Amino acid sequence: MPKPTPSQTVGPFFARDLLWEGGGRVLFPGQGQGDRIALTGRVVDGNGAPVVDALFETWQADAGGKFPSGGEGARPYGYGRISTDANGAYAIETVMPGAFKGPGGETYAPQISVAIFARGLLKALHTRVFLAPLEQIKDDPLARAVGDPERLQTLIAVRDPANPKLYRWDVRLRGAGEAVFIEL
Amino acid sequence: MAETPLADVHPPYLYPDYKSTRLRAPAQPLVRVPPSPLEAVGPAFPKGFVKESEADLTTWGKSAPLGEKMVLVGRVLDEDGRPVRRSLVEIWQANASGRYPHPVDDHDAPLDPNFLGKGQVITDDEGCYRVVTVKPGAYPWQNHAFGWRPAHIHLSLFGNAFAQRLITQMFFPGDPLLAIDPIFQSVPEAGRNLLVAELDLEQGVEGVALGYRFDIVLRGPRATPMGL
Repeated sequence: MPKPTPSQTVGPFFARDLLWEGGGRVLFPGQGQGDRIALTGRVVDGNGAPVVDALFETWQADAGGKFPSGGEGARPYGYGRISTDANGAYAIETVMPGAFKGPGGETYAPQISVAIFARGLLKALHTRVFLAPLEQIKDDPLARAVGDPERLQTLIAVRDPANPKLYRWDVRLRGAGEAVFIEL
Repeated sequence: MAETPLADVHPPYLYPDYKSTRLRAPAQPLVRVPPSPLEAVGPAFPKGFVKESEADLTTWGKSAPLGEKMVLVGRVLDEDGRPVRRSLVEIWQANASGRYPHPVDDHDAPLDPNFLGKGQVITDDEGCYRVVTVKPGAYPWQNHAFGWRPAHIHLSLFGNAFAQRLITQMFFPGDPLLAIDPIFQSVPEAGRNLLVAELDLEQGVEGVALGYRFDIVLRGPRATPMGL
C-alpha cells in the first residue's frame, strides 16, 4: 500500500497561478434555480491580524441538495476559489445549498465545505460552514461531533439583518474564537 | 486527538522552525469526522477545461525561457495503488533564477519574459501526467538567517473527491538545501523521500531536456468508511 504524498504549504506566491481568470467567485453562474446568496468574511490569525494571502476554496451542493459536476468546457458549478485580500476578506456569490442525506440516512444541514491554504499552513485546513442557525443544525453529523454550542457557533454564518441574502462568516485560525477545523 | 493513518507522513500544523506556522496553526485539536457524501465527490473538470499547450511551460513566450529544460512525469494514485484518472494537476514555480512573476516576490533576481511558471494538465486513464518546464532556481527567504528555499515545484491536486485535495511541493534529488529547509524538514522523516523526484533520463528528451519522475499518492478508500 503506497504511502500518501505529504502535504506542503501553498506558499505566498500562488495567487497569479491558482486564481482563475473570470474567477471562482461566482458559483452556479447563470442558473435560475435556488436563492442566490453571498458569503463573506475575514480570515484572521492568532493575533487577530488579517491573513492576507490565503487561498479559500468552497465546495457545495446545489439548491436541491445535489452535488454538481462540470458542464462541457465550463468550470464546475459548485466549486469556489478565491484569495483573501489586504483585509483578510473573502467573498463568494452562490446559491443557498440544499440539505442532503448521508449513507446512514443522517441529514446534513445546509452547508458549504471549505478548505483553506496559506503560507504558514503546512496542510489544508478543512471545515464546513453552516448556513442555518444553531437550532436548525443540531442533528447534523458535524454539529453532533462538535457538541459544545460555543465552538459550534464558530461554524455558523450569520445572516445580515439588513440584507437577508448576505451571510457573514469570519474564520479565526488560532486563539480565542478559533474556528473548528476537521480531519476528514 | 486520535492518531490518523496519515499522521506518519504529513507535517504537523505547528512547526515553530517555519515561523509563519506560529500564528496560523490551529491550537485546538481537529474534530475527526468522516467525509460527507459531498466531500466524497469533487469538482470534475470537463474535457476542454485544460488546453494541451498548458502542459508545456516553455512555449509560453516568444522564445525559450532561460534554464535547464526538464520533463516531469508521474502517476497519480490512491492509497490502494489505483490510478486517479481524469483529474486536474496544477503546477507553479519560480524561474531558473529563483524568481516568481508575483507582485510580492521582492527577490533581486531577474524575471524571465519568456517564463510565466504556471501550467496544468489532466491525468490520463492510467493516472499519468507529463509537463515540460525548466528547473526552478533556489531563492533566499526571510524565515531565518541565511535561509534559502531549495529548488521546488508546487503541485495542486484535486483527485476525484474534495477530501482528496492536496497541495504539495516537489524537490530535486541530492539538493544540499533540503537539510536546512524547515518546510521540507517539517515532514516526518518517513515521508521526506516521498517529496523528492527521481532522475529518470529516459523520460527526458535526448539532447534537449532532463527527465524526472514524481509519483503522487492521494488518500484512498481506506481512509473513509464510504469509499472515495
